[in-house]
Amino acid sequence: MTPEATRWRAIGQILLLTAGLIVLTFISAGSVYLVNQAREDARWVVHTVEVENQILLTQLQMRRTESAQRGYISTLLPDFLTDFDTAASALTVDLARLRQLTSDNPVQGHLLAEIIPLSNQRIEEFRKTIALARAEHVDDAARIVREGIGRDAMSHIDDLANEMRVEEDRLFVQRTTSADRSQSLAASMTGVGSGLVVLLAGISIFLVRRSARARDTAEAQLRDNNLNLEATVDARTADLREANDEIQRFAYIVSHDLRSPLVNIMGFTSELDELRTDIFKRIATLATASASPAPVAAGEIEPALEGGDKQLSEGFSEALGFIKSSIAKMDRLITAILNLTREGRREFEPVEIDTRELIENIVATVAHQASEAKAQIRIEPLPAINSDRLALEQIFSNLIDNALKYLKPGVPGDITVRGRTKLGFAIFEIADNGRGIDPKDHQRIFDLFRRAGEQDKPGQGIGLAHVRALVRRLGGTMSVSSELHNGSTFTIALPIGWKAGNRNRDP
Amino acid sequence: MSQPVTIIMIEDDEGHARLIERNIRRSGINNEIVPFTNGTAALSYLFGGDGSGIDHGGRALLILLDLNLPDMTGIDILRRVKENKYLKCAPVVVLTTTDDSQEIKRCYELGCNVYITKPVNYESFANAIRQLGLFFSVIQVPRSAP
Repeated sequence: MTPEATRWRAIGQILLLTAGLIVLTFISAGSVYLVNQAREDARWVVHTVEVENQILLTQLQMRRTESAQRGYISTLLPDFLTDFDTAASALTVDLARLRQLTSDNPVQGHLLAEIIPLSNQRIEEFRKTIALARAEHVDDAARIVREGIGRDAMSHIDDLANEMRVEEDRLFVQRTTSADRSQSLAASMTGVGSGLVVLLAGISIFLVRRSARARDTAEAQLRDNNLNLEATVDARTADLREANDEIQRFAYIVSHDLRSPLVNIMGFTSELDELRTDIFKRIATLATASASPAPVAAGEIEPALEGGDKQLSEGFSEALGFIKSSIAKMDRLITAILNLTREGRREFEPVEIDTRELIENIVATVAHQASEAKAQIRIEPLPAINSDRLALEQIFSNLIDNALKYLKPGVPGDITVRGRTKLGFAIFEIADNGRGIDPKDHQRIFDLFRRAGEQDKPGQGIGLAHVRALVRRLGGTMSVSSELHNGSTFTIALPIGWKAGNRNRDP
Repeated sequence: MSQPVTIIMIEDDEGHARLIERNIRRSGINNEIVPFTNGTAALSYLFGGDGSGIDHGGRALLILLDLNLPDMTGIDILRRVKENKYLKCAPVVVLTTTDDSQEIKRCYELGCNVYITKPVNYESFANAIRQLGLFFSVIQVPRSAP
């Protein structure tokens, strides 16, 4: 998966979560609002019922006052008087209560404003008739009642009350509908919201599962890749080792088989040399015999060659000499290759080595050469390492030999062996103030049979090639830093501990 | 060698064979030298037609053996000779260019009597062969089992 896609996926998930949160908040707020609305509606419904109840109660009190008045006038019993007073005071209270309840509604207020004076007027009328009845004018009172004065007022009051009830009924229907709507709205909102949340949760789960699956796939792929990589590295290492072994075998066989013809060349050249000696001896004898008739016993005195014969003999000698010296050189080269390949096949024996002591021993063996070259060799503190003793001896003695061998003529030599450790490696430096090596030859000096600089010292160009091969086999690295005429420093890094991976066993 | 000992020389390089023969003769050895340039011919001579080696029963043989042969290694020949009841008493001198210590050890383990590395330097070579010749003139070689 590309980083771009990963980024978009992350952003998508954040957006999804945000959307879910917003929907939840919206639903919660909406639900709270709608529930409050429903409660308010319900309160208004209750209020309407209360108002209707109060209207009926007021009408009832009105009737009670009327019936108490009628009763008193008919019977003059004082009980009816008490009833009347109670009902009248209750009527006043109920009317006040009704006014209070309908204060929010101007229509009802208006109707009530018409009812109250009428009702007061009726009460006054009742009080008047009762007063007449009390003052023994029952007939007058009965007459007033019979005449039906105030009946119109009474029916008017009833009409008004009915109007109020109708109004309240209308309000009741309206408010009930409103309450129902609020509730159903709240319910549907909750339902839709829940649905949305479930949907978002579903999408989230899907996305999370998809990304988890993608991650698992990526992990598996990574694991596979790692395994493949290890296998590839192993295969390459095996290939390299095989190639290296093949080169070793090749070098061994070639150098070995080259020796056989060399024995012949050398052998028959020597035979030729002997033949030459015999031939020229005979020529000399013949020449001497022809020159002076007095015979000389052959072999007792070497007859000397003269003139052209002598030149011929010297030509022979020179040619044979070149052939022999070339063969000798070839033999040395072949022997060197053989030794190198043999060295490459030797098994290392890792032991704990006090490198300072090892180098002191090497310095002791070259003390004579050092004093001849007027050179001093200084050994600084060196780290101990676990490695092959013989290999280390060969490495250091080669380098110290070289340092002594290639000093600047006429300048007292100063050779220093230094050591330090770094990241599990012991780093040794062999520095000299000798003639130095041109940087263009830095690679060349490590090649077999290659040398650099002035060729005034004996040598075959094997030492450094051998040293580098050994260092590599010990699991280390080697480098040189030098300038012409300014001394050289050879640096060797060797593992402090012995690693099993070192090429201990070569086929 | 007072007895009529036959020297079997198995050497693929004819030049080497010639040089060896010359230097042996120079040390005064006049015994018969039978040269072979490959392993197969040498084996068929040594083991005869029936492959048992009985042809040489009762003869005194000395084998000069080179290890690097075109058709087989000298070590194979050495092993077969030392495993044969008629030939196992014959002294075997391995004369080869190899100076590998493993190889030398192996030859002695298989029953080789003398191992000599051919020096490239001809003086050393000639010297070594002449000394070998002198050695031949004094050693006693048993007859093969009849």
